[in-house]
Amino acid sequence: MTTDDKMLEAAFSQARTPDMMPSEAALNRIMMDADSVLAASAPVPTRPKQGVGAMILEAIGGWTAFGGLATATVAGLWIGISPPAALTDLSAGLWGTTIEVPVLESDMFAGLEG
Amino acid sequence: MTKMAPVQSDADLLAAFAGGDRSAAMTLTHRLTPRVMGQAYRMLGNRAEAEDVTQDAMMRLWKIAPDWDAGRAQVTTWLYRVVANLCTDRLRKSGRGVALDAIEEPADETQSAADTLQDAARATALHSALADLPERQAQAVALRHLEELGNPEIATIMDTNVRTVESLIARGKRALVAKLSGRKAELGYEDDNR
Repeated sequence: MTTDDKMLEAAFSQARTPDMMPSEAALNRIMMDADSVLAASAPVPTRPKQGVGAMILEAIGGWTAFGGLATATVAGLWIGISPPAALTDLSAGLWGTTIEVPVLESDMFAGLEG
Repeated sequence: MTKMAPVQSDADLLAAFAGGDRSAAMTLTHRLTPRVMGQAYRMLGNRAEAEDVTQDAMMRLWKIAPDWDAGRAQVTTWLYRVVANLCTDRLRKSGRGVALDAIEEPADETQSAADTLQDAARATALHSALADLPERQAQAVALRHLEELGNPEIATIMDTNVRTVESLIARGKRALVAKLSGRKAELGYEDDNR
């Protein structure tokens, strides 16, 4: 072995330190990295596909809201077809009754006719 | 007599981690980081930097987990390559002009203060000389003489053949001798009987 070889071997031997455990803080950082990778790769929950009917039902507020809407529709239809007497009176009171008022008297033009 | 549970391979643990098993990451961390950290420290000679490299290498391992091909390579072989690359990158960027007062002194109570300082200076001189080598030469020399791996294994790690590894090591060592020869007296190699 030459002097140079000995020098090099001495340098290598100096740097050949045993394996070592990272500090507790470094181990925690490594596990935090693992957690962030796990979180990023977790599957995003997907909503099941909805039909048009289900989408409309959801838009109006579900079955409870649909029940109220159906009741209101039937009641409105019934009132329109057969309004109760009290409602007729109320309507007349509010809007008045329909009467015909001639703007011109029919005999005003009698003299103009030749 | 109780039967011991079979030890899971690194690849199996990596697959378990890719499937969402956090405890697999914990096991891999405790199993692999001492060697990763040791390799980084032997190449860099600085504990803080070695920890950074260890964290970086493990992060790369977590990220590659879903795509890991168990038949391709061993996890340890892959890590040797990653750590060697990360360390040569750091050596290159830092330039390694380390001042003597910045040298980390290994705690060895059997040595005199002068010997300890000289050992530290020698280690720093080696790291500095490694930093000046071409990257592939530095990696081959470090894997052979610091990690004490065989040339076939180094060839696998460096994704090349044994003949190329032999050539890289020979040229690397010649270059190291040339760089250290000028500092023989300063580093105490001339009158060294230790």
